Amino acid sequence: MIKTDKWMIWAFVGPTVLLLAVMMYYPMIGTLIESFYSTSFINPKPEFVGFSLYNKIFSSGNFGIVVRNSLAWTIGVVFLQNLIGFGVALLLNQRLPGQGIMRALILLPWILPGVVAAILWRFMYDPQLGIINSFLIGTGLSNTGIAWLAQESTAMIAVIIAAVWKGFPFSTLVFLAALQNVDREQIEAATVDGASALRRLFDVVLPAMRKVIVVNVILTTILTFNYFDMIWILTRGGPRDATHIFPTKIYQVGFGQFRFGEAATYGVLSVLMLSVLVAFYFIAQGSGRNKRAKA
Amino acid sequence: MTARFNLQRVLLTVLLLFVAAIVLLPFFWMISVSLKPATEPFSIPAKLWPDAPTFANYITAFRPEFRTYFVNSMIVSGATVAITVTFGTLAAYCFTRFQLNVLSLILGLVVLAQMFPHAAIIIPIYKMMKNAGLLNTRLSLIIAYVTVTLPVAIWMMHGFLAKLPITLEEAAAVDGAGPLRTFFDIIVPLSRPGIVATSVYVLIVTWQEFLFALSFTSTKEMRTLPVGMNDFIGQYGIRYGELMASSVMVSLPIVLVFFILQRQFVAGLTAGAVKG
Repeated sequence: MIKTDKWMIWAFVGPTVLLLAVMMYYPMIGTLIESFYSTSFINPKPEFVGFSLYNKIFSSGNFGIVVRNSLAWTIGVVFLQNLIGFGVALLLNQRLPGQGIMRALILLPWILPGVVAAILWRFMYDPQLGIINSFLIGTGLSNTGIAWLAQESTAMIAVIIAAVWKGFPFSTLVFLAALQNVDREQIEAATVDGASALRRLFDVVLPAMRKVIVVNVILTTILTFNYFDMIWILTRGGPRDATHIFPTKIYQVGFGQFRFGEAATYGVLSVLMLSVLVAFYFIAQGSGRNKRAKA
Repeated sequence: MTARFNLQRVLLTVLLLFVAAIVLLPFFWMISVSLKPATEPFSIPAKLWPDAPTFANYITAFRPEFRTYFVNSMIVSGATVAITVTFGTLAAYCFTRFQLNVLSLILGLVVLAQMFPHAAIIIPIYKMMKNAGLLNTRLSLIIAYVTVTLPVAIWMMHGFLAKLPITLEEAAAVDGAGPLRTFFDIIVPLSRPGIVATSVYVLIVTWQEFLFALSFTSTKEMRTLPVGMNDFIGQYGIRYGELMASSVMVSLPIVLVFFILQRQFVAGLTAGAVKG
């Protein structure tokens, strides 16, 4: 242990503490307080209203839609992104021709600025000019093309696909690095014992990567739940609220309608819902571990 | 046995090609449309490459406001990277080297802060910026970006610094070097790979940040590229050629930086994530 120098420690950690306190924790508390006050564009003077904004949101019907959409969006993106990310990582871990180049290129969607990715997908989904409908019409799968983003039945699936395309390379990157840390000898021993590739995957590789997978799922859940850019550019939460999630709703209510109190209330509720989601993972992970320990 | 093995390899290679197509086709489409002359119509089925490719869309898209957005993005991102990585390295060093209860508490608060939705804290921050007279300035964006990128930067530098052997610092201390000199003469030079990886990550995040920029800037003079791109959707209508040309120009700097520093970036990013 090197000598502790109190003065130096506070000089080094000070800026971080100051920024987090003023720009993260103070605003978080501010949002909580704000959610009890009603302010609007017409009436900018805050007025204490207790839980009435919460009541208003709970009884509006919008809230249920936003919760349901946030769940569908988060679970859909996280599940597909990590499943595909893992599959591609397994693929890139084989010695195949061209995999060196692919390892470099695979990250392109993830580096691409979110707004650009969203504009690109908006264009590809375009009913008249988009390449997706052009393909569907060209191959006879559809006669007129599908207005993916304009109809309630397909909008959510369309935004999820775009987000998965952009996000899965990150999961691949993490899983690929973890795969290279899996004990080679264990895999070889299982091969000698006659275990099939699938058995090796489930008995050796997956248990060894358990921790990485859990951490990555939690991380992608937080990032996806809070992801604003993709949906805002693709659909603005529409059509008819079909893709409104918490971040887009908060922005629309706050900066679109200047109902800051109500936006803050949505903000508090979004933190609560995300906490429940993350807590759920921790509980699920804990019980999974207990079961394994008992077996 | 070998026949089956070869078939398996062929199938996996085909699968890899399919993945490559899914990943790369949108990029190909973006570049193809950006080179399409305005006179050449979209056809069904779509033509994969224009008959007479031209840079005309790039020239029109590189209009004065685009240049302003570009400069703003460079200033804001550059300043954010410099400040975040400095603060992050300083803090991470303390978290890995000094065992104080208060430091563990702070590290816990840093990790927790990563969970705060930006949309949830943006309104109080907006009001603070407004009261400080900082709305619609680059400084307001820099302050916000440093704050939101700092937790991850600390996390990445923490993963890196924790692996640096402490013996070097002890040797320096024996030689009579003070803690400050030890940090700047020994730790900082040794941390270069970690600093590079963290810088690239912070750059990728800030270059594309949209929500704060959309909320805090109100005039063309102060907007950054992502918000500018968002405006273009309305202004250009369905002039996709220009939209795609500006998309390419927005993405190019970050893609270049990534490919130049890829090795160090991937190593640095996965070190923390895999260790978990």
